[in-house]
Amino acid sequence: MTALPILFYLLAGVAYAVAFVRRSSVAGRRATALMAVGVLAHTFMIGMQTMAVGHLPLVGTSGAVSAFVWLLGITYLYTEYATEERAMGVFIAPLCGALQWLPFASGAPAARPRVLESPLFTVHVGSLMVAYAAFALAAVLGITYVLLFKEIKAKHLGFFYDRLPSLHVLDAMNARAVKIGWVFLTIGLVVGGYWVGTARQVAPEDARLQAMSFVDPKVVATILCWAIYSFHLYVRRAPGWSGRRSAWLSAAGFAVVLLNFLPVAYFFSRSHNF
Amino acid sequence: MALLLLGVSHHTAPVELRERVAFTPAVLPRALAGLKARLGGGEAVILSTCNRAEIYTLAADGEAARHDVASFLSEFHQLPLDRLEPHLYVRPDTEAVRHLFRVAAGLDSLIVGEPQILGQVKDAFAEATSAGTTGATLNKLFPHAFAVGKRVRTETGLGEGAVSVSYAAVSLARKIFGKLAGLNILLLGAGEMSKITAQHLMGAEAGYVAIASRTFANAEALAAELRSGGGTVEAVPWDTALADLLARADIVITATGSTTPVVTRAGVERAFGQRKSPIFIIDIAVPRDVEPAVGDIEQVFLYNIDDLQTIVAENVARRAQQVVVAEDIVGEEVGRFLAWLRSRETVPTVVALRQRFDAIRRAELERLEPKLATLTPEARQRVEEITRLIVEKLLIVPTEQLKSVSEQQMAAAYTEALRQLFGLADPSPAARVARPAAPPSETVAAAAPAREHQGQAPAGAAHPEPTEGDLESSRSRPA
Repeated sequence: MTALPILFYLLAGVAYAVAFVRRSSVAGRRATALMAVGVLAHTFMIGMQTMAVGHLPLVGTSGAVSAFVWLLGITYLYTEYATEERAMGVFIAPLCGALQWLPFASGAPAARPRVLESPLFTVHVGSLMVAYAAFALAAVLGITYVLLFKEIKAKHLGFFYDRLPSLHVLDAMNARAVKIGWVFLTIGLVVGGYWVGTARQVAPEDARLQAMSFVDPKVVATILCWAIYSFHLYVRRAPGWSGRRSAWLSAAGFAVVLLNFLPVAYFFSRSHNF
Repeated sequence: MALLLLGVSHHTAPVELRERVAFTPAVLPRALAGLKARLGGGEAVILSTCNRAEIYTLAADGEAARHDVASFLSEFHQLPLDRLEPHLYVRPDTEAVRHLFRVAAGLDSLIVGEPQILGQVKDAFAEATSAGTTGATLNKLFPHAFAVGKRVRTETGLGEGAVSVSYAAVSLARKIFGKLAGLNILLLGAGEMSKITAQHLMGAEAGYVAIASRTFANAEALAAELRSGGGTVEAVPWDTALADLLARADIVITATGSTTPVVTRAGVERAFGQRKSPIFIIDIAVPRDVEPAVGDIEQVFLYNIDDLQTIVAENVARRAQQVVVAEDIVGEEVGRFLAWLRSRETVPTVVALRQRFDAIRRAELERLEPKLATLTPEARQRVEEITRLIVEKLLIVPTEQLKSVSEQQMAAAYTEALRQLFGLADPSPAARVARPAAPPSETVAAAAPAREHQGQAPAGAAHPEPTEGDLESSRSRPA
């Protein structure tokens, strides 16, 4: 059951690749259908887990990753629907399939410690996952922007020129994705900070909560993300930075998000690890 | 009945003749009616565009129909036949099918792969349908041609890539800016090339166009000319253009006669200041108007005339490759259509065979009637059903085999064998028509009632031959 979303995400990835390379609208529609089935299966899976453990399975990195992938799938499908543009699917669907491997491999969601039984925790994790999904989309848009930019600049119109939307569209979509991501990232950070304060009083015996501070690697990495994306929003308004540089910046920001998600959460963070 | 195509196109006739034989939408219904009368019924579609006038018909006698259609063309357009004849091409049967499929795919067009022709073929067919001049064959042929056109378009890049310098510039601009609406365009130089490129961009709905020339009067003259085509066009003084407008323009087209670069890197950097949105500079002047180093500036996409021509050459080469792929698709689809056509020719035999078997079944049931009389109604019904199913099942394989025969000779051999083996009554209407040796009076007498019949009924509804539809309905009776 938990393997089904992965299977569909990967199949959708293959179909998106076929649609991208051959520019076939039939393959494209199939890819969209497969992606939608993947998201539905994923929704069902999260629903089953919620019923089994009695709360949203957001505890632990694997639960968070699963939520992130699910939101990314939904965000992507919405973008595809809104812009009628499938070119990003070839990047997003495989990313979903690959990341979903983590919750699949780690098995059933962890039981929730008492301290996490707070709506604030759900808001904290939920809004951060929305933010990360938006950043993932922004990163893909940024990378494709750079690819297309290079082709046009080098006067070598080829593979991407025929397949991607215009630079203007990629840039505008990238900006919107970063804006949405930044808002949710800010909400997630503020709520998280506030919630730590209240949770400490509820559970004074929890060593992790007492040790939680701004120097925790995970907190540091998240604040670094916030700084990068704030800078991104600033340079888009400020003079001197071209679309290509801000595209790179959004890709770099997502690299930090991924690092934060995987190695930092697993190996380095002591206090921010539930 | 065989397909026949007569026509003139840009391949065979100069524009002076093509415009004489063109059918405007206004005269098309009258022409179709006239053609139908001339052919004495039958099927016909007239395809008329600025590059071709073609008539597709279905005729019993190819040579007579050829003559009828040619004289119809000549009379309708009041053009002497001997002036028309040298430019006329005739394609019978398979070649007519191939020709139509190539036309729909854009392979026969002046600019190979141009997209309008498919719509024009669709319109021609719609006209003929509403005039009631299409029947079973053309009703299958034309939709098949639309599918071929669509397939070629989606499976090959035949219509893709700009094949003229101006259009290459427009498509690049689209790839950079998305929509061109609302963009600022700056023209440096008021010559012919500036004009053509600007017209292309304005055709793509660019917003504001500023024209600067060393001679202000020239700029004003061009501005006036472009303005008459609609849009905001303004002549601006040369110095303002280089200083202010360069910083605000999205697209710059340079085509001055200057021997030294008029747009320099230092000048652009000075004008740009802190500009961050991209700018597309098209330098179509020779010698060049823009210093190559300008292209190194981050926001600048600089293309000169050679760059654009290279793109055009690549696109032309790519289209040429795609032509081969498209021709293969056309060949494949022609095969499919012929298979359908052949299977239709075997339909009368299949129907006769079916009737024969069913007659035997009924006769046997009747013969056994006294013995069956003792059975309950349910049991009698069961017997009836079982015998019918046996006949059905016996016929499934031969029917499928016959329908899948695609070669005409094979189909004829099969039908002949079946007729001999099962002693089927002769000849389908198709076989009758295929015997030109019969005395003329007899042919007319045989064919006339059928034609009259067809004339009264809606197109395709009453066909003298048993059609595939008959076969389908006889097979799909509830079991």
